[in-house]
Amino acid sequence: MKYARIAVKNVLRNKFRTIMTIAGITFALIAFLAVRTVVTSWASAVDHAAKDRLGTRHKVTFVMQLPRKYVDDIRAVPGVKAATWANWFGAKNPNNEQEFFASMAVDVPSFLEVYKEISLTPDEIAAWKGNKRAAVIGDVLARKFGWKIGQKVTLMGTIFPGDWEFEIAGIYKTTARSMDRSSFFFHWDYLNDSLRPELKDRVGWVASRVDDPEKGAQIARSIDKIFDERDIQTVTMSEKAMQQSFLGMFGTILKALNVVSVVILLIMMLIIGNTIAMGVRERTNEYGMMRAIGFRPAHIAGFVLGESAFVGLLGGLIGLGLGFMFVNFGIGKFLEENMGGFFPFFRVAPITAAFALGGAVLLGAVAGLLPAARAARLDVVQSIRKIG
Amino acid sequence: MSETSTTAGSKGESREEGVYRGTVEQKAIIRLVKVGRTYWRGKEKIEVLKDLDLTINEGAFEALMGPSGSGKSTLLNLIAGLDSPNAGTITVGGVDLTGMSDAQRAKWRSNNIGFVFQTYNLLPVLTALQNVELPLLLTRLSSSERRKRAQTALRIVGLEDRMSHFPRQLSGGQEQRVTIARAIVSDPKIIVADEPTGDLDRENANDILNLLERLNNEFKKTIVMVTHDPAAAERAHHQRHLDKGKLT
Repeated sequence: MKYARIAVKNVLRNKFRTIMTIAGITFALIAFLAVRTVVTSWASAVDHAAKDRLGTRHKVTFVMQLPRKYVDDIRAVPGVKAATWANWFGAKNPNNEQEFFASMAVDVPSFLEVYKEISLTPDEIAAWKGNKRAAVIGDVLARKFGWKIGQKVTLMGTIFPGDWEFEIAGIYKTTARSMDRSSFFFHWDYLNDSLRPELKDRVGWVASRVDDPEKGAQIARSIDKIFDERDIQTVTMSEKAMQQSFLGMFGTILKALNVVSVVILLIMMLIIGNTIAMGVRERTNEYGMMRAIGFRPAHIAGFVLGESAFVGLLGGLIGLGLGFMFVNFGIGKFLEENMGGFFPFFRVAPITAAFALGGAVLLGAVAGLLPAARAARLDVVQSIRKIG
Repeated sequence: MSETSTTAGSKGESREEGVYRGTVEQKAIIRLVKVGRTYWRGKEKIEVLKDLDLTINEGAFEALMGPSGSGKSTLLNLIAGLDSPNAGTITVGGVDLTGMSDAQRAKWRSNNIGFVFQTYNLLPVLTALQNVELPLLLTRLSSSERRKRAQTALRIVGLEDRMSHFPRQLSGGQEQRVTIARAIVSDPKIIVADEPTGDLDRENANDILNLLERLNNEFKKTIVMVTHDPAAAERAHHQRHLDKGKLT
């Protein structure tokens, strides 16, 4: 402890440099926390998936479609409580083309049966069911575009080109994080009826609710077995597995983000290392004096490493505090509301916070290794010669 | 294992006068025998000290003088255990330094040598008291005991009212007095001073030399001082001149 005082005081010796270094560490840590939270939050979307829901898609890829009649076959499988289907529509708001949102054509009655977490008033449900062009939207999307119930909106089709007119029948909220709050759902019939005959009665995927989640895997096998001998085979999996396979498409992005987070930490280490190395160079004579009066190389190395770790700790604490606020109360809220499908819970995980702080201290100490070794190896006579 | 030698009684007396008044038997605290120190500058061999014999008695106040490059600082570093000779033996306080490892020499220095440098070399982030306390961090003394001893050392050098001042708040003379307090705080037998007045004006230089004299007279410290300044050297009991690595 008696030596720690010297290491700590050395940190405050060149206040401007220390502040700049700590600012560097702080920004690096904020970036690290944000990037790591993207990775963990993205992966955690899988954890929020409904446990009693199965998804069935084309065996080759979910870009390819299934015949509509498959839904009835699935409903007949023992253990399946309800089944519905949907098509990805891919609409854009012509007034704000850059803003992405999910738009899907769904079979309204069965959709509400399978996705129980969608919360609408009875009037809204009735209005939706009673009008073929009616649509419901999440409250976040409504807020973003300023859409109100009863408003007529025209969307631009991307997969299905043209202008599509809708009337907002309801604004839904959700009772679970398995559903995002910025989607646009409308009648599948509206889409299907407008297609050329050869494109009609095709569905993007089938979602089914099962009696017993424990038997999900067994029911999934039963579903796929029905279609084994048909022209189009299926693959059925839990919603969690389906999301995992969806995430798999972004595997490279997640890997890249992981690499970026490591690079950020390395940059932080170099910032600390550079500061400490400069300090050591400037204090050659002082270390020479200390060696002369009896301090051993290990003491000198300890002072340098202590200083380095302390800089890491200071930067780590400030970076963690600011990063926590930035992620949890800044971009976190925004992403949860606007990209809830990808990031249902965008918050700094405790493990990420612990890793960030521990990493800052540890990498701070590691950054000091080289300067510490150099300081410890100083030749006493040469160092003292620098004095006068 | 201290050795003895016979020297004249006091400053200014010839050896004969000393003998006439009665010889004083004194212990040799520093003894160098056939010491050589060579450095290499690239392929060029530089023989700084060669076959040097030197004996300094306990309680002496010696000045080492000589032109630049004569080997004074090298000799001081060898006496203080900062450097090792290429040849010969160095015995200080009965301990043979030539066979010691770096770590052993560091421990020995902390117990036996006080250093006074030309440019003071205080840690700017520590107060005068903390700077003086620095060598005591290497001991097992308690915090309060360390503080007490550092306060005593500062009182001896007349800086009891500057204990909480940082080096930047002190004059050059005061900084050098803090350095001297740091040199005596662990109560070493020997103080080595390398140009202790080199950066000071005459008045402050005189104060420092008075202080060194007092440490020598009252506290019986053996002082070996390298200096270019003849006036400073005059204050020592004995002056030695080095030229081209040899005592003249």
